[in-house]
Amino acid sequence: MRDTAVGNATLAKTRRNSELLRRLVKNRALYLMILPGFLFFVIFKYIPMGGLVIALQDYQPYLGIMNSPWVGFKHFERLFAEPMFFTILRNTLLLFFMNLLFYFPVPIVLALMLNEVRREMFKRFIQTLVYIPHFMSWVIIVSISFVMLSMDRGIINELLVMMGFEKINFLMSNEWFRPMYVLQIVWREAGWGTIIYLAAMAAIDPGLYEAARMDGANRLRQIWHITLPSIRSVIVVLLILKIGDVLELGFEHIYLLLNSMNREVAEIFDTYVYTAGLRQGQFSFSTAVGFFKSIVGLILVMGANWLSKKVGEEGIY
Amino acid sequence: MVQDKTLGSRLFDIVNYTLLSLIGLVTILPFIHVIAGSFTTVTELATKQFVIIPTVWSLDAYKYIFSTNTLFRALGVSVVVTLFGTLFSMLLTALMAYGLSRKDLDGRGGIMFMVVFTMLFSGGLIPTFLVVKELGMIDSLTALVVPTAINAFNLIIMRNFFQNLPEGLEESAKIDGCNDWGILFRIVIPLSMPAIATISLFYAVTYWNTYITAILYLNDAAKWPVQVILRQIVILASGLTADTSGMEDFVRPPEQTVKMAVIVVATLPILLVYPFLQKHFAKGALLGSIKG
Amino acid sequence: MANKRASMLLAAFTALAVTAGCGSASTGGSNEPEQPANNAGTGAQAETKTEPEAPKEPFKLSIMANLHTPEVPSDKIEKLVEEATNTELDIQWVPDGTYDEKMNASFATGTLPQATYIKNQTSLIMLRDAIRNNQFWEIGPLLEQYPNLSKLNPEVLKNTSVDGKIYALYQERPLSRQGLIYRKDWADKLGLSAPTNVDELYAMLKAFAENDPDGNGAKDTIGLTDRSDLVYGAFKSVSSWFGTPNGWGELDGKLTPEFMFPQYMETMKYIKKLHEEGLINQDFPVTSKTDQQNLLITGKAGAYIGSMGDVVSLDSKITEVNPNALLDVQNKINGPDGKFGIWAIPGYGSVVLFPKSAVKSEDELKNILAFYDKLMSPELANLIYWGVEGEHYTMEGGKVVPIEDTKITDRDVKPYQALQIGGISTIDGFFEAKHLLPAKEKAEQLIVDNNNYLIHDPTAPLDSATFTQDGVRLQELIKDATYKFMLGDIDEAGFQAAVDTWLKQGGQKIIDEFNASYAQAK
Repeated sequence: MRDTAVGNATLAKTRRNSELLRRLVKNRALYLMILPGFLFFVIFKYIPMGGLVIALQDYQPYLGIMNSPWVGFKHFERLFAEPMFFTILRNTLLLFFMNLLFYFPVPIVLALMLNEVRREMFKRFIQTLVYIPHFMSWVIIVSISFVMLSMDRGIINELLVMMGFEKINFLMSNEWFRPMYVLQIVWREAGWGTIIYLAAMAAIDPGLYEAARMDGANRLRQIWHITLPSIRSVIVVLLILKIGDVLELGFEHIYLLLNSMNREVAEIFDTYVYTAGLRQGQFSFSTAVGFFKSIVGLILVMGANWLSKKVGEEGIY
Repeated sequence: MVQDKTLGSRLFDIVNYTLLSLIGLVTILPFIHVIAGSFTTVTELATKQFVIIPTVWSLDAYKYIFSTNTLFRALGVSVVVTLFGTLFSMLLTALMAYGLSRKDLDGRGGIMFMVVFTMLFSGGLIPTFLVVKELGMIDSLTALVVPTAINAFNLIIMRNFFQNLPEGLEESAKIDGCNDWGILFRIVIPLSMPAIATISLFYAVTYWNTYITAILYLNDAAKWPVQVILRQIVILASGLTADTSGMEDFVRPPEQTVKMAVIVVATLPILLVYPFLQKHFAKGALLGSIKG
Repeated sequence: MANKRASMLLAAFTALAVTAGCGSASTGGSNEPEQPANNAGTGAQAETKTEPEAPKEPFKLSIMANLHTPEVPSDKIEKLVEEATNTELDIQWVPDGTYDEKMNASFATGTLPQATYIKNQTSLIMLRDAIRNNQFWEIGPLLEQYPNLSKLNPEVLKNTSVDGKIYALYQERPLSRQGLIYRKDWADKLGLSAPTNVDELYAMLKAFAENDPDGNGAKDTIGLTDRSDLVYGAFKSVSSWFGTPNGWGELDGKLTPEFMFPQYMETMKYIKKLHEEGLINQDFPVTSKTDQQNLLITGKAGAYIGSMGDVVSLDSKITEVNPNALLDVQNKINGPDGKFGIWAIPGYGSVVLFPKSAVKSEDELKNILAFYDKLMSPELANLIYWGVEGEHYTMEGGKVVPIEDTKITDRDVKPYQALQIGGISTIDGFFEAKHLLPAKEKAEQLIVDNNNYLIHDPTAPLDSATFTQDGVRLQELIKDATYKFMLGDIDEAGFQAAVDTWLKQGGQKIIDEFNASYAQAK
C-alpha cells in the first residue's frame, strides 16, 4: 500500500516534471526571444545592483566596495533621525497625491477628447501641439514661468493689479508651491501622456461603436461604455507604475522651484540628498536614501498589483 | 463610417473642438516664445519679457550657432544614436514582450517581477559605470545605447498591448502552420502598429535626450550628442552655474537669443518624428483590415 | 500586409518577417533575429572607433578640465602646446554644469586622468579625505626644482594645502573683484555723487527708485538689482562694507561664524529695509543672474553689486537698449564705523591634482610637472590665454586687444584658459588686456585697489570633519533664515533660533574643530 502510494506520488511528480519539460521544449522559441532581454537585465541592472551594499558601508571611492568599512544601518538611522525627515516625507507624499489626483486623469480625458475628433487633420494638429511641451527642459519652463509670475514685472501680477487685486507672491510662498508644481507638470506632460492612451484606443474595433450607435447610445455613453473599458488595462498598468514612483517627483523640476522661502513644503528626498549627500560626496548616505525610496515603491507596487489582480485585472507581473 | 448628426452630437463636437483649440494654444505659447526669441535681437528679448511676434527680426542667433560645425556634428551623432538605438531597443523589447505576453509560458510571472524590480531598485551610477567600463564601451557610442537598451516601462506597456490582442489569434495562426517567430513577425507586430509606433517614439525621444550618460561615458567632446551642447548653452546662458570657479570674467555666457535658437534646432528634428508616426494611430484601421 | 504598413523606422521588423518563417515550421529562424541587433550594435561602434594611436616619442598626458564655453574646443591651441612641450595631450572636456558628477564617477571607478582639474574650493574640500588617504601625489617638495612653478604664491598654495602639505597647482584669481556698478547718468541727473558709505548708497538707491531717474514720469524704477546668491550677489559684499568677517572671524579670541556677528545682523536689516521700501527687486531671493542683469540693462534698476568686471558686458548691452546710458564703478563704500573692507577669495579658482591611480611613478609625476612648468612660461601662458597673435589678438602699446569675433575665440582659445596655472601676478611677461571701455579700465584699477582692504577667510587652510560632512546642509539653515529675515518672515528672535538650531545640529562641533585646527596652525 505504502509503496504504491509513494510510487504514485513519484509517478505524479515525474509526470509533472515531464509535462513541464515538454512545455519548456515546446516554448523554446519564446524563451529564445526572452533571452537577449533577460541577459540585458542581468548585466546592466542586476550586476550593478550589487553596488547597493554601499548603503551599509562608509564607502570611499578610493577604497572601493571591497575595502570600505562596514557600518551596518548607520546611514538609515541617520536618515530617520534627520530633523527634516518627517517634513520631507510629508512633502513627498502630499506632492505625490496631488500629482495622482490632478495630473494622472488629465491625459486620459485629453486622449478621450482627441479620440472624438473626426477631422483627422485637426486631430493630428492638436495632438502635435500638446506634445511639444514635453521637449522643453525644466530649466526653460521654470525660467519662463518665473518671468511670468515675478512680483517685479511679471505679466500675471501686472494683470492682477490691473484688475484691482493685490500682487501674489507665487514664487516664494508655501501656499503656491504645490499648485505651481502640479500645473507645470500638467502643462508639460499631459499631451505626451495621451500617446499611450491614443495608441490603445486605436486598437478598438470600430464595429463596437457602430453597434452602440444602432442601439441609440450618445457620444458620452459610447465613451463610457466602449472607449474607457477598452483602455482600462492600460490605465491600470500606468497607475501601478505611477504608484511605484511615489517618491520620484522629478529632482530637477523641484530643485529649480525650491528656495529658502518655500523649503518647508518643497524639500523632497532627492533635493535633500543633493544638498546633504552627493554634493558632499557622501555616496553611502545617498544610496541609503535611494534604498529607502525603493523599498517604499516596491511595497506600494506589490500592493497595487495585488489589488488589481484581486479586481480581475492583469497587473504588471 | 456612419456619422451621427444628432443635435447632441454636434453640441459635443463644438465644445470639444473649442476646448482642444484652447488647450493647444496654451501649450504652444511658450514654445512660440522660444521660436520668436530665436529670431529677434538680444535687446528686444531683454526689454520685452514675453515675445510672441518679434518687432525686430534677426537671424544673428542662427548665424552664430551655425558658424562652426559643432552643432551639425552633434546633431549627426544624435541622429545616428537615435536611429540605431531605437531599432536595437525595439527589437529586444518586442521579442521579450511577446515572449512574456504568452500566458502558457512557465516562469513569466517571475521574469516580469524581475523586470519590475529593476524599475524600483538601481545600483546607481558608479556600479553601472564599472560594468560599462569592463565591457570596453567607454568612449564609444555603443555606451549610449546598449546599457539602456530596454526600458522596463516600455517593455511592460508593450507586453500589455500584445496581451490585449484578440484571443485565439495564435491558435488560428498555428493551424495555418506558423511557428512562434512567424506569429510574432507576421501577425502580432503588424497588428500592433499603434503600439510599435508609440514605443518607438518613446525610445527615440529617450535616445534623443541622452545627456548624462554621454557626459559620463564619452571622454571625447567630438562625440557629444546635441543635448550636451544644448544643455551647456542653456545652463551657461541662464546663469545657473554659480560663480564658484571664478571663470565669469573670462567667458561671456551665450546670448539669450542663441539659447533660444539652439533649443529650436535641437528640438525640431525629434518633434518631426511624431507627425510622421501618426498615421499608425489611424483608428481601428488594422483590425478592420484583418477582419475584412 | 506587413510590408505595406512598414515605415522606415520599422524596416528591421519587416526584414525579419521575411526570414522568420510561416508554414515551414522549422526553428531555422531562431538565429536570425540576433543578426540585426548585432549589426545595429557594431554599426554604432564602427562609427565611433577612434584612430589607433601609433606610439611616439612625445610624453603622453591625459587631462580632465572644465569647459566653460558653448563650443566644443578646436585643437588649434592644443597642437601648438603639444609642439612646444613635446607632449601628446588627451584632454577630456567636461561641461561645467556636470563637472563634479563626472569627476566623482571617474574617481570612484579609477578612471581619473593623470592631471585632474578640481572645479573650485568646495570641491577641493570634499576631496580632503581622499587626499589624506594618499590618493594623490604630494608635490610641495618638488616645486622648487621648477623655475616657473616655484613662483607660485606660497600663501595661496597654503590655502590649497591639506594638513600643511601641498598637493595641487592652482589657477590664480583676483582676490576681490567685488564692488558697485551704477547708472552714472541717473546719478548725475539727480545730482548724486558716487556713494562713499552705506548711507549714501541707501540715499542713491532711494533716489533711483523714487525720483524718476529715467524721466518718464512714472515710478517704475528700483534701486538695486540682486540675485539668488548670498555670496556672489550683493549680500556678502554689503556685509563686508558693514565690517562682517569673511565666513569666519575672531570674536573674543575665538573663531566664530560670520552670522553670529552683529554686523551680519546689520547687513540683513539694511537689505530688509531696501526690500520693504521697494528699493530692490522684490523677488531677489529667486532671481537668476540673467534676470538680475536684465533689470539693469533695460533701465529698471540703477545699481548692481557684484564683480566689477561685469561692467563690460553690461555696458555693451545697455547701450544697445539706451545709447545715453552710462555705467560707472565704485568700491570703497565705508560701513557705519567709517571703515572699508571687502571679502576675498582664497586666491585660486580651480586647482590640478595628480591621482596616483593614473600617475604611476614619481618620474612620471616629474614629467607632468615639467609640462606644467613650461605651461607657466610667459610664451605658453599667453598662448593658452590669448591665443595666437594676429589670429586671436593684436598688440597695441604692449597690451592685448582680442579680435572682435568672439565665436573664434570661444572655440579656439577660451576653453584652454581653463588649463592655466598661476596668473598675472606669478607669470612675468603675461600680457595685460587693453581696455577700450573707460569703466572697465577703472574697474581693473579698483580691483587692484581692493587688495589693500581684503578680509580673508581664516578657515581656508583649516579643517573640520563635521564641516566637511554636514557643513553644506547646515549652511542651508542659515541661508534660509537670512532670506526669511530679509523678507520679514522672521524677526531677530527667529534668526537667533535658527542659529541655535545650527549650533545644536553640529555647528558647535564645527566651531570647536575649526578652533582646534586654528590653534594648531598658529
